[in-house]
Amino acid sequence: MMRTLMSTVGAFALLASAAQAQDCLTEPGTIGFLPKLDTDPYFQVAREGAQEAADEIGGTVIQAAPSQATAEAQVEFINNLVAQGVDVIAIAGNDANAVAPALQRAAANGVRVISYDSDVAAQARSVFVNQALGSSLAEMMLQSMADMIEEGQFAILSSTPTATNQNAWIAQMEEELANNPDYAGLELVTVVYGEESEQINQQQALALAQTYPDLKGIIVPAGIGLPAAARALEEAGLVGQIQLTGLAPASLIRRYIEEGSVQDIWWNVSDLGYLAYYAAQAIAMCDITGETGETFEAGRLGMYEIGENGEIVLGPAQIVTPENVGEFAF
Amino acid sequence: MRRPDWISGWDAFICIVTLVALVFGLTAFENFGSAFNISQMIAGASERALLVLPMMLLLITRDIDLSVASTLALTSVVLGLLVQSGVALWPAIGLTIIAGAALGAFNGVFVTVVGLPSLVVTLGTMALFRGIGYMALGSGSVNILPQGLLTFGFTNVPGTFVPWTIVPFLVLLPIFAIVLHRTVVGREIFAIGGSPLTALYSGIAVNRIRFGLFVFSGVTCAMAGIVYTARLANARANNAFMMELDVITIAMLGGVSVFGGKGGVVGVVGALSLIALIRNLLGINGVGGDAQSTIIGLLLIGALLAGTFAPGIVARIGAARRGKTGAAAASD
Repeated sequence: MMRTLMSTVGAFALLASAAQAQDCLTEPGTIGFLPKLDTDPYFQVAREGAQEAADEIGGTVIQAAPSQATAEAQVEFINNLVAQGVDVIAIAGNDANAVAPALQRAAANGVRVISYDSDVAAQARSVFVNQALGSSLAEMMLQSMADMIEEGQFAILSSTPTATNQNAWIAQMEEELANNPDYAGLELVTVVYGEESEQINQQQALALAQTYPDLKGIIVPAGIGLPAAARALEEAGLVGQIQLTGLAPASLIRRYIEEGSVQDIWWNVSDLGYLAYYAAQAIAMCDITGETGETFEAGRLGMYEIGENGEIVLGPAQIVTPENVGEFAF
Repeated sequence: MRRPDWISGWDAFICIVTLVALVFGLTAFENFGSAFNISQMIAGASERALLVLPMMLLLITRDIDLSVASTLALTSVVLGLLVQSGVALWPAIGLTIIAGAALGAFNGVFVTVVGLPSLVVTLGTMALFRGIGYMALGSGSVNILPQGLLTFGFTNVPGTFVPWTIVPFLVLLPIFAIVLHRTVVGREIFAIGGSPLTALYSGIAVNRIRFGLFVFSGVTCAMAGIVYTARLANARANNAFMMELDVITIAMLGGVSVFGGKGGVVGVVGALSLIALIRNLLGINGVGGDAQSTIIGLLLIGALLAGTFAPGIVARIGAARRGKTGAAAASD
């Protein structure tokens, strides 16, 4: 029994290696985008970018996604895309490891795989189109805070005490504060958590204002938190007294950014879809394979080089200010 | 040809609709009939297929188990932790099944000994079991699993398009069908659903059977947990999130009555296949998850309406026809 099983695995592996020698397309093919969640506006905007790229160089964009942001639901859609005969799957993974076997099976059936927005296990995709390097985000949030308040007390309103990304950013900010003379005038008074809840974020923002009468700013590195904190401060009449910056879709806080009391670190989501489409077609036509150092051209965004671990970085995130807020559709 | 007594009119109807959907899929879409698609469609239904069996029995006895998906998740976490701590695969599987039985017994005690409604008890354990899973493993996951388990999760029975993950269900199904429709225990289960008091006074050990069904539910959920862990190469606490609702939908569409006492294996297997078929046909035509759910929802409502009004309409047509033939006979 076990031997038959093992030989099946062998056959499976063989199939996979045979598929890697698949033909290269001579013209742009069909790219199946598989975001985390159906009807999520973030991914709808990314799709518009992909469509813009398809209009430029040809080929087809299709997009379908589950109604629940789980790996299991995504596996069904990976299989659907394979059955539909797409040339490349571009996935934003709900779970890096749990979708990997299904993606490898897709590869064994002649479909190439890239990831965008949220990476999957590296052996299951050729390249990852990353929106921004995490380390640059922490630096930019701190820089934005320094630009707004110049010196004085500020606090951090994070998502949850166990959030991996946020904790890494906070640690990096603390290190910068301790070592970088540019930020000598800034004092981090406390880190509190909004628990990914709009209400808790609002309460925490107001509690910070009451506890620290001299507080001049709050950094909110979480998408739900920044708009919630902005609303809470507005209702309490504290806008202008306490400055906010952080990480959130620019469209959700456009009004506050225009008023000048809030800044934001964000990226152009439409460009993310645009770049992912160019990368997927470059993979399909064998212009790139995912090796570090390979380069390809991505339309109006120019040349891109594949970095370590198959990563393609869209570019540095931008500090969204009243001057450039109009450029951000999401 | 007379229909056997264990196939109701509804069962036959669902199976015919399923068959029509299958033939339609095979003829209308060339990418539907590929071995890859058929095999992955079956694999995708593996856990629901297992979970719907105990759910069906519990519904027939007027109980319900809302904790099936959470039990699946917790047993998946148990399996992951056992394997991670170096327990060999087969003992780990055995312990996982025992854990499932214990979780089912936990539900069973509250329902039959304490006497609380199963809806409330399992609503509680639905949150409790998944919560324990999160406490044990956090939001992380175990994804380094033994090769034997992964092979089971990813490959087909050699020479066929039948995925290994559906095999536990295929083994369990005939035994299950015979026990339900051809043995004393099966009859007692229907009797309890028909009228618990009458069953009790007829000498049926009502609570012992109900308790047994909860333990059976726990064991089957653990099997589904193992299958799920293998198929997604991943043990984590959010596995099979909200799957209990899918399972209840399948049972209802399969003709299992919420009021107890009614249901059959044929209808449920038909409904299981029908939902998998519809989701797949929509999926390979690029229809997203939200629209798929909408269509499944409409299907269930439609089925409920048909189930409620069709018997009356059929009876009326029958009566009209009898009236006509009766008149014809009289004129002879």
